[in-house]
Amino acid sequence: MRPHAGAALSRRRFLSLSAGGAAAGAAALSGCAMRVSGAVGGSGETVTVMAKADDISVDLIKQAQKDIGVRINTVLYSTSKLIAMMTNGNPPDLVRGVGAVDAPYFAARGVMEDLDPYFARSSVLKPADLDPVNDLWRYDGRTQGRGPRYGMAKDFSQDSMFWYNTGLFDEAGVEYPPELDPVTYEEWLDKAKRLTRRRNGQTTVFGGSYNGVLTPNLLTSLTVAAGGNLFTDDYSRVDFTTPEARRALGWYIDYCRTKVGPSIVQPDPNTWDGPTFQANRLAMSNSGYWLGGLINADKKLAPLSRLAPAPYFEGGRRVSPCQAGTGFWIPSKSHNKDAAWRVFEWFFGEAPAKARASGGWGIPTLKSLRSLMPAQEDYQKRVLKVQEAELKHYSVIAFTPYATADALLALFNQIAPAAMTGGMSVDTLAGRLNSAMNEQLKRGKEQVA
Amino acid sequence: MTVDQMTPLADRRGSAPAAGRAGSRRHTSVVTRRHRAFYMFAAPWIIGFALLTVAPMAYALWLSFTTFDGISPNWHYVGLGNYRELFSDAQTWRSLGRTGLFAITSVPLSIVAGLGLAVLVNRPLKARGLFRTLLYLPAVVPPVGAGIAFKQLFDQNSGAANGVLNLFGIDALGWLADPYARYVLIMTVLWTAGNIMIISLAGLQDIPRELLEAARIDGASAWRSFRSVTVPLLSPVLLFQTVTGVIASVQTIMPLLLAPDPTPAGITALPQSTYLYMMHVFAEYFAFGRYGYASALLWVLFVLILVATGLIFRATSGVVFYNVDPEAKK
Repeated sequence: MRPHAGAALSRRRFLSLSAGGAAAGAAALSGCAMRVSGAVGGSGETVTVMAKADDISVDLIKQAQKDIGVRINTVLYSTSKLIAMMTNGNPPDLVRGVGAVDAPYFAARGVMEDLDPYFARSSVLKPADLDPVNDLWRYDGRTQGRGPRYGMAKDFSQDSMFWYNTGLFDEAGVEYPPELDPVTYEEWLDKAKRLTRRRNGQTTVFGGSYNGVLTPNLLTSLTVAAGGNLFTDDYSRVDFTTPEARRALGWYIDYCRTKVGPSIVQPDPNTWDGPTFQANRLAMSNSGYWLGGLINADKKLAPLSRLAPAPYFEGGRRVSPCQAGTGFWIPSKSHNKDAAWRVFEWFFGEAPAKARASGGWGIPTLKSLRSLMPAQEDYQKRVLKVQEAELKHYSVIAFTPYATADALLALFNQIAPAAMTGGMSVDTLAGRLNSAMNEQLKRGKEQVA
Repeated sequence: MTVDQMTPLADRRGSAPAAGRAGSRRHTSVVTRRHRAFYMFAAPWIIGFALLTVAPMAYALWLSFTTFDGISPNWHYVGLGNYRELFSDAQTWRSLGRTGLFAITSVPLSIVAGLGLAVLVNRPLKARGLFRTLLYLPAVVPPVGAGIAFKQLFDQNSGAANGVLNLFGIDALGWLADPYARYVLIMTVLWTAGNIMIISLAGLQDIPRELLEAARIDGASAWRSFRSVTVPLLSPVLLFQTVTGVIASVQTIMPLLLAPDPTPAGITALPQSTYLYMMHVFAEYFAFGRYGYASALLWVLFVLILVATGLIFRATSGVVFYNVDPEAKK
């Protein structure tokens, strides 16, 4: 008998149909994977932006539609989502990144679009107007800071600087740091010890926090400040056993061991310095200019707060790097690069950039926008004076392209607590960090063409 | 007998097979419709299972033979290399050992706590419903919320736990660091004993009252009744709780929620006592970007869970009492 439309559904036929349905469903899911949240309707081209919530607000999306006629769809930033979208051939058109550590990693893997042709044609983002911090987004195939430009920073700070609360200094009878001259790292730590207050085994006031943006960036910066380099010349290995790296690492371990501030062995529940500084429970915060955005909004705290130059090591090098340089990049496989560039240009050079510059949450990355930085109040003028004097000490501290900062940080967090609690010497720690990190870097190098 | 008299008999014999065939077709049609209905109603689940479980597991199995990191174009097949590394990785074995210790500690404690609470709230007492609700309520708090609450509660510098110690003149402790972190983790598990309580309570209420009365009449003490009547009759429930408890404890992400820095890179800063297997998997996936290696870790975990479950069933087969004899269906 011939089978026909009304024939019984056999087990074999059912399983075949289910498999087909599963395959079709998988294809459909692949096509629409993790797209669209926070979309605002309208005509014109559509650009998908992978960002954090405070990068692209709904109001900004509406403004983009109005200003440049581009519809922005946002996807909440997540490395997992990014990998999934890139793997299925449907990457976002713009992706958030931390220039200091992401640019060399992604550029080395060929997934970032070279933006030099776009910059060359731009009348808004002129190369001559770009702040040197944007060199964090350059990579020449070997070294960060040179070669093609793959992205841009939205604002920046010199992240080795620190804020301090003069009220807490007065209460503790500790002299302020000089306004324009840096203290040494040893002096900073001594002040932190004297400013720390404890009661019943609890720290009621942290003398100072000094954790950088991410520990690998911090250790890299500290080593350069000590006169050395954490990475070898080809950036494929770390060496914590050089005198400079040893000194830098030793300082940071001392900071953690003495518990003058938050660390992985003495975590602050607030997880970032802002609320603790605002609560008058943190005397010195290793935060760059960006913390002024929060301080300026607190009329009681602002007059008490000052910004100080980045410390240095005696006999070392005075350097005041940016450890973040957060911005955006365009995936090389984006299907909408020209529209993405239009958003890029608008975000970094037009209304949003001007709003960021006047908000005080970071230094603008276009030199022409510096005049918009807050300078109305006396305390703002004082901060600006310190910041302007510090700019000349900026330089790119190149990071390895063979490992993510997260991977190196994870290894540090895995090994270092034993030293921070006195269970391991700094020399032993240095050796173990070398071993673990160099293995990770080796794996990463094998995966770079 | 004439020819005419023989004709009706012949006709009657001819109609019987036709009727039989019609009945058979109706029976087949009913069976077919039932099968079709089953397949159609089960299809959504089966398709979902295929898409969301089988396919990802197959993909993970494939990944486990590679060096895929999600971004780099130059990943490679490494055969069983990830598995060989896994079995020689000290960190993997340590995290597995800690996970095993956590499971054999937390699961019995949870079951005992839940059963104890169930026995208490199964007795006649005033406001029993209120007590049941209060004891169950923590179990409905999302784990993330519970984790955040415990993290704040046990913070060294601002937590209430140290506030209580200070009242008695005791200096603050670092609860979220070793050696105390493991105890906080156990407490988070016991915090959700309400879940176990509800299931145990349902089991207790299913025990025939007559059996307990008969035991009491025969002179059995309360403890003897509990041990010889209640527990055996609850044994299927306890088995279920043991199996699901082991699986849940092995897969727990609570240490992540208690972590000072609950980010991929911060997970490795967990106190060693709470750096469990799933924390190791999490770190390998999201901190180190080793999707292939982490997938191998998960597949090994899957096999270990299967083995553990089988061992539990085998070990308890002689002491689990079913009201309905499972052999009766064979």
